[in-house]
Amino acid sequence: MDLTPNDEQEALRFATIAWLEGNMPLAEARNRAPTLWSGMKEMGWLEMTRPEMGLDHATEALIFAELGRFLAPVAALSTAVAARWTGLLDTVAVALRGHVLDPVGTTSALGLFDGKAGLIEFAAESATPGLDLSTLQVRLDEMPSPSLIDEPLAALHFRLLAAAYGVGCAEAAGDMATEYAKVREQFGKPIGSFQAIKHICADMAVRSQVARSQLYYAACALDAGDADTAFYVAAAKRLADQAALENGRANIQVHGGIGMTDEAQPHLPLKRAHLLQFVAPVETADLL
Amino acid sequence: MDIGFSAEEQRFREECRDWLHSNVPDERRPLDAADALEFDKAWQRRLFDAGWAGINWPAEYGGRGFSIVQQVIWLEEYAKAKAPWIGANFVGVNHGGPTLIANATDEQKAFHLPRILKAEAIWCQGFSEPGAGSDLAGIKTRGRVEGNELVVNGSKIWTSFAHVADYQELVLRTEEGSERHSGLSWVICDMHAPGITVRPIRKMSGMTEFCEVFYDDVHIPIENVVGGLGNGWTVAMSTLSFERGTGFIADQVKQAQEVEDLIETATGNGMIGDNRIAEELAQLRAEVAAARAMTYRNISEVEKRGQPGPEASVIRVFTSELGRRIETMGVRLMGEEMLDFRYGDDDQVQDYLRGFASTIAGGSSQIQRNIIGERMLGLPRSR
Repeated sequence: MDLTPNDEQEALRFATIAWLEGNMPLAEARNRAPTLWSGMKEMGWLEMTRPEMGLDHATEALIFAELGRFLAPVAALSTAVAARWTGLLDTVAVALRGHVLDPVGTTSALGLFDGKAGLIEFAAESATPGLDLSTLQVRLDEMPSPSLIDEPLAALHFRLLAAAYGVGCAEAAGDMATEYAKVREQFGKPIGSFQAIKHICADMAVRSQVARSQLYYAACALDAGDADTAFYVAAAKRLADQAALENGRANIQVHGGIGMTDEAQPHLPLKRAHLLQFVAPVETADLL
Repeated sequence: MDIGFSAEEQRFREECRDWLHSNVPDERRPLDAADALEFDKAWQRRLFDAGWAGINWPAEYGGRGFSIVQQVIWLEEYAKAKAPWIGANFVGVNHGGPTLIANATDEQKAFHLPRILKAEAIWCQGFSEPGAGSDLAGIKTRGRVEGNELVVNGSKIWTSFAHVADYQELVLRTEEGSERHSGLSWVICDMHAPGITVRPIRKMSGMTEFCEVFYDDVHIPIENVVGGLGNGWTVAMSTLSFERGTGFIADQVKQAQEVEDLIETATGNGMIGDNRIAEELAQLRAEVAAARAMTYRNISEVEKRGQPGPEASVIRVFTSELGRRIETMGVRLMGEEMLDFRYGDDDQVQDYLRGFASTIAGGSSQIQRNIIGERMLGLPRSR
């Protein structure tokens, strides 16, 4: 039993962060370079989940949490899951109930249909950002019937990676609030010295740690073929969604007036959190 | 990363399970103070005789010298077997002993550790004072150095099991005129020494293991100081980090069982049909799983780095507040029946009332949030 990353995993994680800082800064989340996808492909993130790569889910979870921290395109999730279970190597968008997310250069989307992973084909339309300014989307008035992936683990894999994105998003909001609380001064002191603010930051850290811990456990359970894997993954996704949403809101509160503006960044993780809760969503029945 | 256990660890788990299966007493721990003490001592002695006391304590002092993972396995199986709460042995086994292992001289360890493991000596904690609760550095109880003795005057409060204890881990001010964290010492106090008066305090649950302790010219040999005169704060903090670190495993397994029981109760009485109840039970079930994951993660860190970090405060805040919500759900599912609670009853209401301690004792949830904010996140100090 060991729920800490080993040296190799840490090295991979740091390499990921270094690339993301240079190529996908959060500040530019709503205006990503058109070359981003080819860059991600070159770095191997979209294909690293192919079966022949032999990568374990625990390492994937670490990498995808970092991608999530920089509000990476959500189609990286669906593309990775499709690569693992269907052999598709092209970009695959995300299918929700009535929307397709990141439908760029593809007419296939992956989503959950009655708890099973499946692919739909949709007609290419021009996509625009909605609530989440970092994601392009199209509305589908009628959801085409999916071709289901004949492997129950595909749904768990999709939900696990989406949970990893949620953990990263929650941490992005928490870090942003904590850094701001160290530099913003009122009453002649950094606001982080006041317990009213400090405890909000502490609560954000607790939510992130809780969600990240469960993510690790769920990833290991999926790797080990544990009998309760479906529950562990559902718990990870539920806690990650909540952490992302609650930290997203708290981050705006800590920022005060500037946090309410379009120009500042705090609204970006919150809006992403609202989007993520509809990706591989968890129902109460999944947890009971 | 993996959540599996080695073949050797699996065998150890089976050994624990087998022994507990045939040795856990059928009767519950009595609530009456005198009966409870006898029960606690007999049970601890049985654990010791069978080799289950001090699993990760050094073998030369009566422990087994096993790994922290084996200790975790034992605690998990202990809780699963619904083995009794260790009661009066809690402070000795969980705080006093580990503090002695980390800070005491060989003589002190050789004398006290086996006595703790065999339940020949009951320990209590002497940290909080009427004027020093969350602000623990405000300790006023004094130990005047006279020759090779300390002469102690003052009082301590919220001291569990002081009325039956043989020794106390007493933190007091030994340097005249010192302030805050300096000038404090961590001392082994003989609770049978002349000049000590113990006054029991009844808790709102009806329990009476809580006490106030008064010291009137109590003489303590100076050789009873642990970790050196004036180093009491550092020694005391090592105790608290034990408390905040790995001491929660058994609680978490118990919480997991409680949530399963609540789901069964709510299914039985139909209350699970209420969406709000179902939603909350689902949430508790997810959080209990995460609490275990977080503790496993912390234990893995301790295995690699030796000591629990400030992250232990995250576990502390989360687990204790989760426990409070589980207990609150327990009485919610009881409905009007909770009104029939009387002092001495051992039911969900007892757990609910007793549970308030978990977010107060050993550093309140608010103090833990300060620690998380300042030591983990690096925010400026509040005071």
